[in-house]
Amino acid sequence: MLHSKTFNKKTRGGRIQKLVREVYLRDDIYCGALFCKSCEDKSKARLTATASTILILDTNVVLNQIDLLENPAVEDVVLLSVVLQEVKNKNSAVYGRIRNLIDSPARRFVVFSNEFHRDTYVQTMAGESPNDRNDRAIRVAARWYQSHLGEAVKVLLITNDRENKRKATEEGVSAETIESYVKSLGQPALLDLLVQPASEDVIMEEVEDMRPSKRKVVYPEHKPMSEITSGLTKGIYHQGKLRVNRYNPFEAYVGSESIGDEIVIYGRGNMNRAFDGDVVAVELLPQDQWHEEKSLSIVDEEDEEEDVHLVPGSSDDAPRTSIPVSSSTFDTNPVSSRPSGRVVGIIKRNWHSYCGSLEPMPMPAGSGGLAYALFVSKDRRIPKIRIQTRQLDNLLDKRIIVAVDSWDRQSRHPSGHYVRSIGQIGDRDTETELVLIENDIDARPFSAQVLACLPPLPWSVSSKDLNESNRVDLRHLCVFSVDPPGCKDIDDALHCTMLPTGNFEVGVHIADVTNFVHPGTPLDDEATQRGTSVYLVERRIDMLPKPLTEDICSLRADVERLAFSVIWEMTPEAEIISTKYTKSVIKSRAALSYVEAQARMDDSRLVDPVTKDLRNMNALAKIMRQRRIQRGALTLASAEVKFQIDTETHDPLDIGMYQIREANQMVEEFMLAANVSVAEKILKEFPECSLLRRHPTPTKEMLGPLLRTAAAVGLNLDVTSSKALADSLDCAVGDDPYFNKLIRIMATRCMTQAVYFCSGELSPPEFLHYGLAAPLYTHFTSPIRRYADVIVHRLLAASIGIYKLPTIFRDRPQLTSIADNLNYRHRNAQMASRGSVELHTLIYFRNRPTDTEARIVKMRSNGFIVFVPKFGIEGPVYLTMRGDKGGGEWFVDEQQQKIRKMDGSVSYSILQAVKIHLEVLEPKPNRPKLQLTLL
Amino acid sequence: MEFVNPEGLRLDGRRPMEMRQLRAQIGAVAKADGSAVFEMGNTKVIAAVYGPREVQNRSQQINDQALVRCEYSMANFSTGDRRRKPKGDRRSTEISLVIRQTMEECILTNLMPRSQIDIYVQVLQADGGTRSACINAATLALADAGIPMRDLVTSCSAGFLNSTPLLDLNYVEDSAGGPDVTVGILPKVDKVTLLQMDAKLPIDTFENVMQLAVEGCKAIANYIREVLLENTKQLEYRRGL
Amino acid sequence: MRGIEISLNQTQKIRLQRALKQLESLYLRANFNASVTVADTIPVSNEDTILKGHGTSERDGEVVATLCGVVERVNKLVYVRTLRARYKPEIGDIIVGRVVEVAQKRWKLEINFSQDAVLMLSSMNLPDGIQRRRTALDELNMRSIFEENDVVCGEVRNFQNDGGIQLQARSQKYGKLEKGQLLTIPPYLVKRQKHHFHHLEHYGVDLILGCNGFIWVGELVEARDCIEEDQLNNTEQQFTKSNTTKEMPLETRRSICQIANAIRVLSILGFNVTLEVILETIDLSRTLNLGIDEMLGPEFHVLVAEREAERRTSMTKRKG
Repeated sequence: MLHSKTFNKKTRGGRIQKLVREVYLRDDIYCGALFCKSCEDKSKARLTATASTILILDTNVVLNQIDLLENPAVEDVVLLSVVLQEVKNKNSAVYGRIRNLIDSPARRFVVFSNEFHRDTYVQTMAGESPNDRNDRAIRVAARWYQSHLGEAVKVLLITNDRENKRKATEEGVSAETIESYVKSLGQPALLDLLVQPASEDVIMEEVEDMRPSKRKVVYPEHKPMSEITSGLTKGIYHQGKLRVNRYNPFEAYVGSESIGDEIVIYGRGNMNRAFDGDVVAVELLPQDQWHEEKSLSIVDEEDEEEDVHLVPGSSDDAPRTSIPVSSSTFDTNPVSSRPSGRVVGIIKRNWHSYCGSLEPMPMPAGSGGLAYALFVSKDRRIPKIRIQTRQLDNLLDKRIIVAVDSWDRQSRHPSGHYVRSIGQIGDRDTETELVLIENDIDARPFSAQVLACLPPLPWSVSSKDLNESNRVDLRHLCVFSVDPPGCKDIDDALHCTMLPTGNFEVGVHIADVTNFVHPGTPLDDEATQRGTSVYLVERRIDMLPKPLTEDICSLRADVERLAFSVIWEMTPEAEIISTKYTKSVIKSRAALSYVEAQARMDDSRLVDPVTKDLRNMNALAKIMRQRRIQRGALTLASAEVKFQIDTETHDPLDIGMYQIREANQMVEEFMLAANVSVAEKILKEFPECSLLRRHPTPTKEMLGPLLRTAAAVGLNLDVTSSKALADSLDCAVGDDPYFNKLIRIMATRCMTQAVYFCSGELSPPEFLHYGLAAPLYTHFTSPIRRYADVIVHRLLAASIGIYKLPTIFRDRPQLTSIADNLNYRHRNAQMASRGSVELHTLIYFRNRPTDTEARIVKMRSNGFIVFVPKFGIEGPVYLTMRGDKGGGEWFVDEQQQKIRKMDGSVSYSILQAVKIHLEVLEPKPNRPKLQLTLL
Repeated sequence: MEFVNPEGLRLDGRRPMEMRQLRAQIGAVAKADGSAVFEMGNTKVIAAVYGPREVQNRSQQINDQALVRCEYSMANFSTGDRRRKPKGDRRSTEISLVIRQTMEECILTNLMPRSQIDIYVQVLQADGGTRSACINAATLALADAGIPMRDLVTSCSAGFLNSTPLLDLNYVEDSAGGPDVTVGILPKVDKVTLLQMDAKLPIDTFENVMQLAVEGCKAIANYIREVLLENTKQLEYRRGL
Repeated sequence: MRGIEISLNQTQKIRLQRALKQLESLYLRANFNASVTVADTIPVSNEDTILKGHGTSERDGEVVATLCGVVERVNKLVYVRTLRARYKPEIGDIIVGRVVEVAQKRWKLEINFSQDAVLMLSSMNLPDGIQRRRTALDELNMRSIFEENDVVCGEVRNFQNDGGIQLQARSQKYGKLEKGQLLTIPPYLVKRQKHHFHHLEHYGVDLILGCNGFIWVGELVEARDCIEEDQLNNTEQQFTKSNTTKEMPLETRRSICQIANAIRVLSILGFNVTLEVILETIDLSRTLNLGIDEMLGPEFHVLVAEREAERRTSMTKRKG
């Protein structure tokens, strides 16, 4: 049956256009009930015969109550296509979740395409609004279901719209609100999952007696959408994504294209209920109100404070510091102040669920009943969220997940609802899970479909593999691997043989993961999603299933394994003469750890072939490294730490700085060379769709803090190029042996992270990897733990003509989205690792109050931030008592980067070594924190 | 954008392998030797054929075959926004050429030397697949004009969106910017006379998409055949003995 | 399918439908279904003794239609008779055409064929009626015989090498047609018959059913022989003017229009156009006392269809 639908639409030019679309109404859309006799196709049917009630949901119910729907107590649900469409338009995150429910074989959710069914299609009546029409469509579909399935089952329309419910009852469709339905289920715990209606009057009545002060309007009104749009076009407002300062939740930035600069937003009032990640419209404040740096003090308006945390690895995780403009003569930067503004409207919300815990509070008198509690997210950028719960005593000491529902003008905090609890606060497993959830890491075991893609075990190199025409047999070579101790996912191995000409043949052999992971399989899809393996202190979350990671792909000693090899011929001066890429079969002679390798090289008595090769390679690597440094590669330092973990309790026993040996550098050098060679090859072959890695040149602004610090200690750094920076870093040798490393650590944190990108998206000069001073770079050497390497393997295989290029590479937007996902996953994995280390640091110090040496890295008005090299942590040290705001006792000299007492008796300067005391305190129950005090 | 929802339905309620509703009417232009209106869903095209007739421009006359000319145009009211469509713009010149070449291939031009056949096609309503609809309309009009042909040419398009081959794209799907393969075939001879695509598509996917388009062409051919046969019968019985 | 483009009300529609249905059943009773469309295979019993005629070709050893139409078999010859197509000339066909060009020693006539037909000056009787060589003067005076846009009646003389045709108008019955209407209908509705000239003295009208689908309805020219005698005495100049000067009676004009409209109705309905049917149609309109304009109204179309159905039924009965 054919039907035309006509509607009017406003074009971009502002004219009214009449659009006509066809709609084909069908009779082959089935109800999805297994017990239905008239519908033949049961392939998608889920509704069971035992179901006495079938639920049909209204759009608002799906949008608001998704957490409830995810609870297995709600089953036998029919989702109408009109509802799904509306949900999709309003909130894609909820749409994704509801789609997961539909796809999940464990749940009984079915989709009914009412918009294309002959009997349930409704036409817009004259004067009817789209909403009314959709509501009517829902009622028509509900009625159809009831008459289609007969009297055996009850079809219940769930709607919170009073009008809709009334009409439904009039039309003979049974309808209920979600509250009354959940109550009828008799599971009180479910009630916590309910989102309270957002209408202000309802809440206010209930809340009034509890917090009368909240009646006043706290936030200015959001401007209506039409006004925002016109304001944006006129240039009064600026659109951008709001980014809250990770270290100061009262400061946010909006990157605006219209200004070409970031707009700073100070304070919750100016942020006007915007969350981190929301797309907002901002109005600039008059220039005289552009705030000066207010956040120089460590503590701020509320009782939130800086925590002890790990030293940031790059500027992306470092605290954002705006350039302080002081009245003093110090003014290297002519920019007077940054534009600041206030949020006038929110264009797109970025609400999702957050993990954290409830703010400790006394149990309300009438225990067991409803209680309001404030939820504090672990992510400091998120404001406190008010929730309603019936199980307060149960939740107080738990880590829980909470979702945001609304934020009225009258309430100081957004209101939300409880989703689920993770576990006891402070419990290592709970906290680890928290770290994973926070960073969106999927730690679930691999699904059966994924595991089905693995080759049968036990696996060994078969004659078929050997006979493959493009696979070279390299089992005769003396190949070995060098990795951290205890490494099970060995994805690289090396060999080095002296050629008769006096040159060397050096090979880098990388696990041939793409031989087992084929494009388009569930295994590949899963790996694409995970993007990388995640290394936590006590566990590893694999990108690929364990048999692949630890056995089939891992280049273990004395077993034959498949590899993808890059083989160079090098002169003794480490000049590359030729490069060869091939798939191969290798047999590793030894799997060494860095320590073992180093020991062998150093032990002059050993003259076995492996050791000799090691020495040759080391010699080559040193030359290569030297050359690289001359080119301008930066030697940056990190403050990585290593835990010794108790094998039984999994508690940390000791912490130490990660030691870097020559052997590490040797392996690293060859891996870099292999990556560069591969990058050149694939880019030459596929200039449009290669996956490369770039490291953007840091801007002057980003290097600001480093320069200021250096200037304060009388060091002059040249940052005009990476070469200049590298050279001046080399010259930065103070009388203090640790000084150089400290400067390097500080330099590292000024850099942004390197990112993956698709070569077609940028122009060649932008391909530069700043840190390595390489014009081209990619990741090739760790396909077991990084998906980017898997992609590069496929590109390389295609470029040497072994396999044809998977179709995905022809789709540039998709390739870009994969690269974006890899960057996101990579970053999350790093954040999770840091989170895990921070967690274990806390556990470690729980029973071990320690005195140690620390370095001052940043000045504050009432103290300073210190860096503890031994444990790789950073944290505030207060000189004045908290609550006593500065008191004028201490004075900060911006230029000298010094803090000194007013009477001049004591002063501390930057990079100065101080003795501190580390101890875990519990100022509030269940909230342990690491405190640093000056000795 | 989602063009095929997880339930396997397209934006207009069709399944991926389904064509829009076809409608054809022969004899829409009284003065023409042959004419037809062809509809694929909301796409509506009228075609008129004049000839074979005396060549208008002597210098173009071909001594051993007929001269085939084609003119494609879009009515001002054919799209949502009413716009004056300049004659002879690049797009219509190109489509005119495509239709001409396709039709020339199937007309037995050598039977009508020193004559000229004019095909005029005009899009009355555009909703995607106008190219195909024009070819189908032209075939009908040529058959109506009693011009000898090797076979009926029919055309249909297929696209590839959301990793699914879709038959007979409508305007919304067409403007998604995905690959759009327009195929014209001689169904009985089983030969391809037209194949157009202005996007990149891997060869194996392309084959699937093209196969789908060919299936569509065959379905259209069956429909056109029925229409023509019914038309012939009607003319014959009305005429009487 | 071809619709009949007249606006009918509901009952008229049903009546027309019924009449057409009747025609269809009559036809199916009389003929086995031999309609083909382009690329259909034409079944033949034993191929080697077959002669492939118009509208057929061979593909993979099978005879295939290249046109839509009806398969006709005459002895060994198999061909497809097209319905709607341009005129296919045969020698001796009487046709009506319109002069489109006056060229060297010839006129070119549009006759609904794939090319314009040629009428040589030498294939014309000269106005003075004398058989003689054509002089240069005659050539210069060609326009005084036929000018552009004149309607001319002639006969197909022969085919030229290039596929074009030549006409001749050597008899007094051929020549320029004046004072009347030219109708163009699809040629398949005109059957080749013994007589294509009809002098309907009763109406005072001349009717020429050209084989090419051009039909002339004009004032009855009494006796062409008389004119010839006239012409002998007059100058050429006077000849061309002679007929135009006479005033045509109103009654004749009405008759011309009536006949023309009858033909129009028949051609719209797709019925064969023969003298018999035309006269019957006029009778029908006269008995109903319809105005000339009303003949083109929907009601009359339906009536004609019904009457035609009746007529053919009775014809079949008579035969049976």
